[in-house]
Amino acid sequence: MTTYIIRRVLLMIPTLLGITIVVFAISRFAPGEPVSFTGGIGGQIDTGQTDVTSARMKLYGLDKPIHIQYAQWLWRVMRLDFGDSIKHHRKVSELIKERLPVTLMLNVVAFLIIYAVSLPVGILAAVKHGRFFDRASSAVFLMLWSLPVMWVGQMLIGYFAGPTFKNWFPPAGLSSNYAEQLSFLPRLADRLWHLVLPVLCLTYTGFAYLTKQVRASVLNNLQADYVITARAKGLSEPAVIFKHVFRNSIIPLITIMATLLPAMLGGSVIIERIFSIPGMGLLAFEAITSRDYNVIMAVATIAGILNVAGLLLADIAYAVVDPRISFVSAI
Amino acid sequence: MKQDEILLSVQKLYVSFSTEDGDIKAVQDVSFSIRKGRTFALVGESGCGKTTIALSIMRLLPAGQGKTISGEIIFENQDLLKLSEKQMRRIRGNKITMIFQEPTTSLNPVHKVGNQIAEAIRLHQNKNAKQAWADAVEILRKVGIAEPEHTARAYPHQLSGGMQQRVMIAMAASCKPALLIADEPTTALDATIQVQILNLLDRLQKEIGMSILLVTHDLGMVSEYADVVAVMYASRIVEKAPKGQLFAEPCHPYTRGLLQSLPRLDVSAKRLEVIPGTVPEPLYFPAGCKFHPRCPTGQKNKRCRTVEPELREVQSGRYVACWYAPGYEKR
Amino acid sequence: MSKQAKETTRLDTSYGELIWRRFTKSRLNLVCLIFVLFLFLLAVFAPFIANDKPFVIRIDGKLYFPLLRNLQPSDYCIFLAAVVVLWNVIGRLLPFSVPLGLRRMNHRNTSGLGLSVAIVSVGAVLIFVFVPRRFDAVDYKTMDACGKATGAIFAFIPYGYARTELASRRQPPSSRHWLGTDDVGADVLCRLIHGSRISLSIGFVAVGISVVIGILVGAILGYFGGWIDFVGMRFVEIMMAIPVFFLIITITAFFPRSFLNIMIIIGVTGWTSNARFIRAEFFKLRKQDFVQAAVSLGLPLRSILFRHILPNAVAPVLVNATFGISSAIFIEAALSFLGFGVAPPTPSWGQILSLGVSTSGRFLWWLTLFPGLAIFFTVMAYNVVGEGLRDATDPRLSKVA
Repeated sequence: MTTYIIRRVLLMIPTLLGITIVVFAISRFAPGEPVSFTGGIGGQIDTGQTDVTSARMKLYGLDKPIHIQYAQWLWRVMRLDFGDSIKHHRKVSELIKERLPVTLMLNVVAFLIIYAVSLPVGILAAVKHGRFFDRASSAVFLMLWSLPVMWVGQMLIGYFAGPTFKNWFPPAGLSSNYAEQLSFLPRLADRLWHLVLPVLCLTYTGFAYLTKQVRASVLNNLQADYVITARAKGLSEPAVIFKHVFRNSIIPLITIMATLLPAMLGGSVIIERIFSIPGMGLLAFEAITSRDYNVIMAVATIAGILNVAGLLLADIAYAVVDPRISFVSAI
Repeated sequence: MKQDEILLSVQKLYVSFSTEDGDIKAVQDVSFSIRKGRTFALVGESGCGKTTIALSIMRLLPAGQGKTISGEIIFENQDLLKLSEKQMRRIRGNKITMIFQEPTTSLNPVHKVGNQIAEAIRLHQNKNAKQAWADAVEILRKVGIAEPEHTARAYPHQLSGGMQQRVMIAMAASCKPALLIADEPTTALDATIQVQILNLLDRLQKEIGMSILLVTHDLGMVSEYADVVAVMYASRIVEKAPKGQLFAEPCHPYTRGLLQSLPRLDVSAKRLEVIPGTVPEPLYFPAGCKFHPRCPTGQKNKRCRTVEPELREVQSGRYVACWYAPGYEKR
Repeated sequence: MSKQAKETTRLDTSYGELIWRRFTKSRLNLVCLIFVLFLFLLAVFAPFIANDKPFVIRIDGKLYFPLLRNLQPSDYCIFLAAVVVLWNVIGRLLPFSVPLGLRRMNHRNTSGLGLSVAIVSVGAVLIFVFVPRRFDAVDYKTMDACGKATGAIFAFIPYGYARTELASRRQPPSSRHWLGTDDVGADVLCRLIHGSRISLSIGFVAVGISVVIGILVGAILGYFGGWIDFVGMRFVEIMMAIPVFFLIITITAFFPRSFLNIMIIIGVTGWTSNARFIRAEFFKLRKQDFVQAAVSLGLPLRSILFRHILPNAVAPVLVNATFGISSAIFIEAALSFLGFGVAPPTPSWGQILSLGVSTSGRFLWWLTLFPGLAIFFTVMAYNVVGEGLRDATDPRLSKVA
């Protein structure tokens, strides 16, 4: 088992390196230079201060050849030093330390809710496939899948969190202004109250995707031969489903866990922007609009690392759950 | 129950499935009886309906395919077709058990083999987990697996095909059933293993005193192990006789054709005999006798083309469904 | 139908007809397919449906045709592409052969596809080079209103998508502007219609790029296997490792915003799933006898890969392509919503959506509802068509009762 994990981790390393190369390449091969921002957007304003520009370039190490720049950047990244944010004038790693937990919390809560809803609905839809529940839930989830997130977010704010219609939920932020003065439980309640709308937006697309996967996996297994064997032994139908079908069906769903999380990270950007939640997504958004290159590269790298870590966890979980995976098998 | 008493009696079984292309009459007017301690073989080509009969006895036909069943299956003074699902579950795996063609897919890949056997034991006999496990190991020993304690802790994919089928047999024999249905038990196995498995079934039959319903297309297997043989063609039984009489003097042209087409070592021949034509598709059964397009007699006779012969007893214990079989038309 | 006749039709149905029959069994599939077609026509004929220049106008006694004169090269390109696509589609639907260039084309063979693609590409280049870009700033509507001109026949929706009318900003729907106006006074309905062009063209081109890259990469990895596959899969994994949306917005941050860039970016980040499909199919197929036969005949590699193996492997990719289109439309809308997509005055559904909550916090419902509905229906229609295609091409599903 440990050899398997070590193998997997070793295979991760080239992928991680590759991510850093891709991120670095994008930033360096793009037209325009970082320092030209100081000369107006797009460098239109010619300040005529070429020595200032070249001094700044030297400061940021931009005058060295490109592979040296990459090596230097990589070395700093490995020590978790992402440089300074041009916009916020703080260390990037500090910013990330503040913002990452927020995004993670949002996504993990959404993740749990998605699984809690999709598993039973998917199983039920598969068991009753072809009948009303299956077709109705399919149709509902297809519609949900097609709803654009920004539209839903904005409509929710407009209708439920605004002055024009209902005002049930707060339109922005993670906690109210007076939250620090509250004790633990009311503060938690306040936090939850703020989370309702954003989590709603994050979860509904996940429902559609995951329920469909669950249903497909369960349906696949319901037709398997071992199910007939189980029935031939005299097991009741619920026993067949929970003791036999379920354990086999969740195996492919574990890999899906790995793909769901990064998809939600991407969706976070939009939701955090709409609801003004101070997480990684909003950080990335602000960084892009203000061309804060250090932050952009840091966020992209971290998103990639998280993703790869998630894949690794999924691989390990997969090996634990499925006895057919032998630990000395090929890649 | 005395030896030679009738254990299971199928009377006028009709099974049909309605599909969008029409009604598929899978089983028509099938009647036979299985005696205690005897092996009854149901022989026929793929698609003739023999597996459907086996599944109907176990009431394991897939649900919701627009199926219509009529007739009676009498077992222990009860009509199995009229039992409730709960009552049927007490019989399945307990008094009537079944083994299938593909042992690899018929075993649940994520559960240990010993647990799968113990599951049946715990379900039908009031034993706790420890006792059931001990019983499972014991029955594995009985089916000829060396090191049964070790094997019981293995997963199906770690066993060879032959061992997997022994596990299936162990599972089926664990509750000492009155009837074991074997649906093509050796088709997926190597030739040498086939003999071992069949000998095992034979030995278990004598030890437990169970009857076996052997569903197969392999006439060689039938000649060795069966007591009574029923030949099926296109959803009907066309000939039924004790084994010796059937092989010595086949009455139905289809049976004759099957026996003639078997390659023989003691007869030198330049070409193998074949039955001309192909099996008709269930949606397009010919009128009259279903075999008539391929029968040398049937093609010339109007009666064969228009009226379907029913299964009649021509001698004591011999049944044929052919207008031109000797003794068919008693005046 | 007699048994023989039914048998012959069953033997005679081509794969495409079989899929069509399975696809159309559900009415929803058909409805969505018709909607997709409707959108296609809307996008192609947008300048004729919503335009602030009249078809014909009489000034000082002379007839002018401002709308036709002001068609841009991109409009001509779209017309050309649409005509070629329709010609291909209709030509294959007809039971008899239809000439296309030097080859005959009907619903059984795929000849002429290469020729069509060539015509479109060459035509596009020629159009962009030779057709001048006109910009006619004359305000024909005022001329018509105050009588300087007469006999003006306007398009169905007489507004231009770039025309700003600051006097009527942020108006809710009225009889003048059926879906209201946005924050610079442009008519929302008109911008929605022209926005469909942007969405659809980005969708199709981006998916086209991702399919082409995916097929190339997948074919090479799948066919050669071994260390080529090992190294290649590491690269594919790297591409898949960074969350797609993050990657897209990262790239858009560094490159200038333009229509072409968006298409390329979405296409270049979305090919990994296609590559995996093709690679899996090629793994399966390369051991088949027909491939061995082609190799032993000494056929060149590109022929083996693309003329022999590829047609057998391409089915899952085509199904995935419909989902790719809906996903590309969604991504483009999201990018425009965030401000990273196409720049105004180019109309985009996402951009209109972003104006839904004004800077003062007012909720302008018409700027949220209508573009949202547009995106929703479009994405849903493509998703339904994609699901229908997937069910129609999946042989296993017909066995499930």
